[in-house]
Amino acid sequence: MTENINPKKNRFLTNFQDERIILVFLVLLIAFPFVMNLITGTGLNEGVTKFWQGQFIVFFIMAVFAMSYDLLMGYGGILSFGHAASFGGGAYTFALLMKHWAPNFMSNYRIMVGSINITEAIVLIFVFLAVLLISILIGLLFSATSVRLKGAYFAMLTLALGSALYILVKATDFHQWTGADEGLHGVPVPLWLNPTQNRLTIYFISLIFMFVCYMVMKRMVNSPTGRVIIANRENEDRMRMIGYNPVVYRTIAFVSSSIFAGLAGALYSIWNTSASPTMISAVMTINALIMTILGGIGTLIGPILGAAIMQTISQFFYTWFGARWPLVFGILFILIVMFLPYGIVGTWRLKRLDVKNGWKRITGMLSRKE
Amino acid sequence: MKTKKNKAITIAIWVVISIVVVAGLYLYAGKEPFIRTTLSGLTLGSLFFMVAAGLTLIFGLMDVLNFAHGTMFMLGAYMGWQLYTNPTFIFGLMPFILAFSTGIMMTSAIKPYLIRWKLPVKWIEILPRIGYALALIAAFIGFAGIDILELADTAMVAASVATANNPLAEISPQLPFPLFWYRPILLFLSGFFIAFASSKPGVKTEFALKDNLIKKLLVPVGLFVLTIIAIIVRESAPEAILLMNGNWRFLISMLVAVAFGFLFGAVIEIAFIRPLYERAFFIVLMTLGLSFAITELVQLLWDPLAYQMVRPPLFAQPGKAANLLEWLRNGNSTIDIYGVTFPTYRLFVILLGLIMFTFITLLMTKTRLGMIIRAGVQDPQMVEALGINVKRVFTFVFALGVAMAALGGIGAGPFLPIQPLMGDQFQMQGFITVVIGGMGSYVGAFVGAIILGMGRAFGDYFALKLSLSPAIAEASTVIIMVIVLLIRPQGLFGKKE
Repeated sequence: MTENINPKKNRFLTNFQDERIILVFLVLLIAFPFVMNLITGTGLNEGVTKFWQGQFIVFFIMAVFAMSYDLLMGYGGILSFGHAASFGGGAYTFALLMKHWAPNFMSNYRIMVGSINITEAIVLIFVFLAVLLISILIGLLFSATSVRLKGAYFAMLTLALGSALYILVKATDFHQWTGADEGLHGVPVPLWLNPTQNRLTIYFISLIFMFVCYMVMKRMVNSPTGRVIIANRENEDRMRMIGYNPVVYRTIAFVSSSIFAGLAGALYSIWNTSASPTMISAVMTINALIMTILGGIGTLIGPILGAAIMQTISQFFYTWFGARWPLVFGILFILIVMFLPYGIVGTWRLKRLDVKNGWKRITGMLSRKE
Repeated sequence: MKTKKNKAITIAIWVVISIVVVAGLYLYAGKEPFIRTTLSGLTLGSLFFMVAAGLTLIFGLMDVLNFAHGTMFMLGAYMGWQLYTNPTFIFGLMPFILAFSTGIMMTSAIKPYLIRWKLPVKWIEILPRIGYALALIAAFIGFAGIDILELADTAMVAASVATANNPLAEISPQLPFPLFWYRPILLFLSGFFIAFASSKPGVKTEFALKDNLIKKLLVPVGLFVLTIIAIIVRESAPEAILLMNGNWRFLISMLVAVAFGFLFGAVIEIAFIRPLYERAFFIVLMTLGLSFAITELVQLLWDPLAYQMVRPPLFAQPGKAANLLEWLRNGNSTIDIYGVTFPTYRLFVILLGLIMFTFITLLMTKTRLGMIIRAGVQDPQMVEALGINVKRVFTFVFALGVAMAALGGIGAGPFLPIQPLMGDQFQMQGFITVVIGGMGSYVGAFVGAIILGMGRAFGDYFALKLSLSPAIAEASTVIIMVIVLLIRPQGLFGKKE
């Protein structure tokens, strides 16, 4: 609304104003390690504080992955069961290059600016560019299949492609490269990025990463292109009638979501200093799906919430219910699908008016009594 | 005219291509490896078909992508295996299930009277809630104190050494009757309370006729009799089954797996999928959740272990049979087929797949129900408009599909390790089969299963020959799928949309 009245105003800034709660959360999350440090008295990089930083890092990364899935499924209306291919593809690209290419390169070449050695930075930039490239390629591969196929056939093909990648990663033929079943371990990351020694750095990097991804995706969804992607979800034939090519917009949705997932995967690989076949398996896709459903489809903020809930649940359910906690979780999931189909955020948005009216009535009654 | 000609040409091209491929493989591999690989391909294809047949029917009719199908396959294997090695689990829980369903089945009999009950508005709201709460409490008290884990307890490699001397070695202890008698009654009450609550007492907008009370009571009374029988034979039946000849026991366990699959499929369709028909997308999520929860439940009951089921005596005798008759007489574990030594059990699996294909073909082409299903695949709305209860057909087809998957599971039991994730692999291949064959076509599922099974078997053969890992062959099935989809996006036998 405000955009129409005041078109000159920077839209990025208006976005910020719309998301005041997000900013509050951002500040809270930035303050979190220090507050934790004050409360517990343990150092910033040890004990409980460090443990919770780790939990939050996983949460941030998984939130980005879930958001990228939401971009695809919630906004694009594309149900892909091979989304983990992008995530794992990013992770494996990063780990493979860092393990097999970077040490060689760094021992052979030294790039200096003045007296500062920037080889490491250049290598990192290059590796991340490669991650981008690979995730774009994976996105293109998946969207290429959507040109000819629709609906269930397409879903099946994505599932099959994803599992084919998973099988290839696990194949013993490439053992010397991918490490087959065990995956790649001990990926040499730069010291300032090391998750055991400099966890706080990664904490902030992944926090900023999540925040930036959220803003970019939000902006993208609200842009004209994003509107067309949503329209594609609603009615493809009508879109074609108006004169948009659905394939192009589906490709855009696919590639952009694949890029976010790939970057998240690379970051996850830094955090674990490893890349394992689980990152590329269907379980990963289903995790993202569950997070998105928990939080609410097509809300972007929902997947973040869903990731937070998943992270908490996997932390506490184990102590509450023992080794078989996923059973409780599965029953919870079934109940949510049955009774809260729009997820937490979606249901909240649906019922917000009711809740507000209820509050008004209650406060009105109270004031009348006074 | 032209389309007919085109069709003939396409079929001719396919036939020529397949002949060339088969001849090429035969010439390349040589006679013995060719026969062996073909037979193992057929075994795989048979299992794929058992999974894919249900998937394709369910999808074709209901547009449901059933992601719990592999789990049903696994459950079928577990149930059959339990009956085969330790039937206490099934017989110990049978009285509960039967008593509970007796209670629930009372719904149609009591509903006409309950909705005509004149109640104050407050009670109309409160009574169902009280009913559900009471049902929960009754079920809880009924189950409290029963160690299900102990009932399900089974040795890893059951019935190999221990049971040779003592066939009853695997049996689990059960509660004595004085501690047991009130539990089925409580479960019956629990089911009855649910029937009471779900028939909405006092709600005048509900509709139910008072007639045919005796006919409506037939099902609950029958279940009641069964419950009594189940309580009586609770301890003797497992022993009787374990003392039986292994072949008969295996036959019974297959029947149990099928019956279990059918009932379980019907329950799942009615309880979890029917409420979501308006939100088709969520059915996929529901099946995913179900698969997740059921897998975890199985891991809770039997631990995340891989069990080995013993082959029934008909396939267990060491030694090679020269021909079919000799095998049937002696029960050899391998048989000689044109100079190739092949396990007899795998031959049985191929046979099972063929029997099932014949059964489905007969069901679909010769019966009225099959006609309705075929019509429903074409246009469900039209079928409903013609006055057929499509929902009931949906439930039947879902149950049938699950039953077929369960049969596949118990069929795979004796030669695959029985473990919680055994179905996932088959589900994946089942999906690929269905996509290759065309969704909704059982003939397509059959052809697709054979193509895929052959692809896997020859892929493994070539992978071995070229010293690659079998994983490459597994991944290459996706290539078959992509090729088929590029040529015919609707699958080989699918109808064009």
